[in-house]
Amino acid sequence: MKKFAALFILAIALSASIGFGTSEAAAWPSARTTLVWHSAAGSGGDIMLRSLAKFIESKTNFPVIVENVTGASGANGWNYVARSKPDGRTVLGVSSTFIASPLQNNIPVNYTNFDPVARLFIDPICIYVGGNSTYKTLGEFFEDAKKRPGELTLTGGTAGNVEFVAARGLLREVGVDVPIVPFEGGSEGVVAVIGGHVTAGVGEYAEMASSVEGGKVRVLAVFNKISNLDVPTIEELGYKTKVEKFRGIVVPKSTPQEIRDAMFKVLKEAMENPDFKTYYTNNNMIPAFADGNEFYKMMERQNEEVKASLGGSL
Amino acid sequence: MENFLIGIQALLSIKSLLAILAGVTWGTIGGIIPGINATIAMALLLPFTWGMEPQVAVMMLGGVYCGGEYGGSIPAILIGTPGTNAAAATVFDGYEMHKKGETGLALYLSLYSSVFGGLFGAVCLMLMAIPLAGIALAFGPAEYFLLALVGLTLICSLGENNILKGIWAGLFGILLSFIGFDPFAGTPRFTFGILDLTSGLEMVALMMGLFAVSEVLRQAQNFDINDKYKFDKKNDTSMPKLSVFKKFLSVNIIASVIGVIVGAMPGAGATVASFLSYSYFKRSSKNPDSFGKGNPVGVAAPEAANNAVTGGAMVPLLALGIPGSNSTAIMLGALIIHNVNPGPMLFVDHPEIPYGIFSSLFVANIMMIFVGIVCIKCAVKITAISKPALFACIVTLVFTGSYAFNSVHFDVLVAFLCGIAGYFMRRMNLPHAATVLGFVLGYIMEANLRRALILTRGSYLKVFLNSPITVALTVIAVISVLWPLVGPLRRSMKVQKTY
Repeated sequence: MKKFAALFILAIALSASIGFGTSEAAAWPSARTTLVWHSAAGSGGDIMLRSLAKFIESKTNFPVIVENVTGASGANGWNYVARSKPDGRTVLGVSSTFIASPLQNNIPVNYTNFDPVARLFIDPICIYVGGNSTYKTLGEFFEDAKKRPGELTLTGGTAGNVEFVAARGLLREVGVDVPIVPFEGGSEGVVAVIGGHVTAGVGEYAEMASSVEGGKVRVLAVFNKISNLDVPTIEELGYKTKVEKFRGIVVPKSTPQEIRDAMFKVLKEAMENPDFKTYYTNNNMIPAFADGNEFYKMMERQNEEVKASLGGSL
Repeated sequence: MENFLIGIQALLSIKSLLAILAGVTWGTIGGIIPGINATIAMALLLPFTWGMEPQVAVMMLGGVYCGGEYGGSIPAILIGTPGTNAAAATVFDGYEMHKKGETGLALYLSLYSSVFGGLFGAVCLMLMAIPLAGIALAFGPAEYFLLALVGLTLICSLGENNILKGIWAGLFGILLSFIGFDPFAGTPRFTFGILDLTSGLEMVALMMGLFAVSEVLRQAQNFDINDKYKFDKKNDTSMPKLSVFKKFLSVNIIASVIGVIVGAMPGAGATVASFLSYSYFKRSSKNPDSFGKGNPVGVAAPEAANNAVTGGAMVPLLALGIPGSNSTAIMLGALIIHNVNPGPMLFVDHPEIPYGIFSSLFVANIMMIFVGIVCIKCAVKITAISKPALFACIVTLVFTGSYAFNSVHFDVLVAFLCGIAGYFMRRMNLPHAATVLGFVLGYIMEANLRRALILTRGSYLKVFLNSPITVALTVIAVISVLWPLVGPLRRSMKVQKTY
């Protein structure tokens, strides 16, 4: 009974907000808003959305809720949003998994079923070795790998994710034979490198930041410039392989342009908000704010890269 | 020492103590409810911790973690349904003890063992976090593979007198573990185009189907309509004398050591720990056949181990800044949201947090005694429910639980189908426990074997001879496989001699 009462009140609140919402089209959020994440509470992307929700909520009287719609390798969450009304009340947080998983799992919904709003961050990717490894630079590592083909090893997270794509791309570009060992998620790979079971790894810097501080991990090079870390980028070392592990916001296809513009504005403000800033700097995320068009082009590009990397033998 | 004082200081406030008590209570209740394990209970609580100071938040989550790992044993004993995956091994003997009428002993022994394991884990964490992290690091893919293999040898002895049946059931479990995402090719396998299968079968749904649904079906079939309103009065639900627990001290110590070490390894966890502990005691027992028929050691061993995991699991988080399990990943999330960076620098920057976690684990385990007694007193009322009502409740709990875990409808179907499969396995005397074991360890074994083979460039021999650890584990595995063969052989030889 209580539930019905709650639903009833909610329905009234919603219908009221619809009335107000249309009169002032440029405001977002104009009602109770749900930010959807495809994976469990407490995961990296979930925490980002929750920090973001905190800020959006402080700007308006409407509740902003993070909902974890999990299962089917992300497909449940993405389908849920793709089928929602394009009214700005159901918003999807995405990361590079949004590109990789539909390709790997033949999920019939992908980035083309959504309208992009903005890219917020890039999670820096780096190539690292254990703290007491003899390799001080990336050059030394590759030199040794050339001398002893097939003897050094590299971990790159789960097969098919962007770290893996980057690791393989770089090895191909340099032309060395280093077998890649997939691990479940990034942190198991870091432990295997610290433990000396695998020579080196390619992974998200955030997953090893504290180990780097504690001297257990040495970063040889980064794919994306990290301001407070004195390590050369892959580009500075003269390699062409690029990787951008993104985080962004998309909405269901054919969401009105005004709503998307209003959303874009709020997100832009969030990036400048001191609390949100502390959160993302502490977590070593690179602010990479970009508008919908640029974001979409990047997803298109990444889609091709991942597609090309799949299906090959390991 | 000074840091300990900081930890105790952080602990000794009404706010912290209340937070831990609330955490333990919620964790235990969550553990009792099938479908809500320690991780989910922690995740559900996470949003409420944002208003708290970070050390209070982690203390509360620590309490939930301890309570959750314990609570799962109560339904395991009373209704034969593990409340959490890690309590699955407790079903084997706990439920049998309940059926024999030793309900009180089973429930309180489980509480005692859990508290013992929890406290043991906390002490190890405090005194040996760094060496324990060293053990975790020494385990590479080859070592993980062999550890899983040693655990799997248990399936040979689960088939009671028929080793082959145990092996068949175990292989079926391993086969089920292949369904889903192939971590090496990066593509789905054995999913037959069903999108819901791409993330694999959900362990919670699978276990509840195999254990609970099949048991209800079996009992419903043998159910005599005249028994309908007869209550089971013969169950002794009283708390046994404390002196009874003394003889389980050595079991608890060994089980806790297993729990702490397995807990410290990223990617293994409480379920693996409780199965390894159970199999160790079954294997080393003078009377292995008494296991699975209500041997109290079969309750003490997994319960002490899965609670000792709580201490061990904090090791990678605090010593390396890397969460080794889903539960500790949520703690990491709680810290991150408060802008606290975990890892080795935590001891320097925020000593109140690691030492707060240490001391909160102690307090949480002591509080668990009281919370546990209250929960047991309430839960045993279940024995006074008539069977048809109880069956209906169990089935309801199983299906809501398997849905609640991920909010995915498909998991309800998995629980249902596994229930049917389990029912037929029971009829054919195929041990469904072996299937569960195969499912739990199959993936760990496969993924790590494939990793190890990449590292040894395809040499199986090198996988087994990778390090002293792998050699030792190989020897243990071989002995374990041969033991059930040797035992009956010896016995039959003795029989022949007497003639």
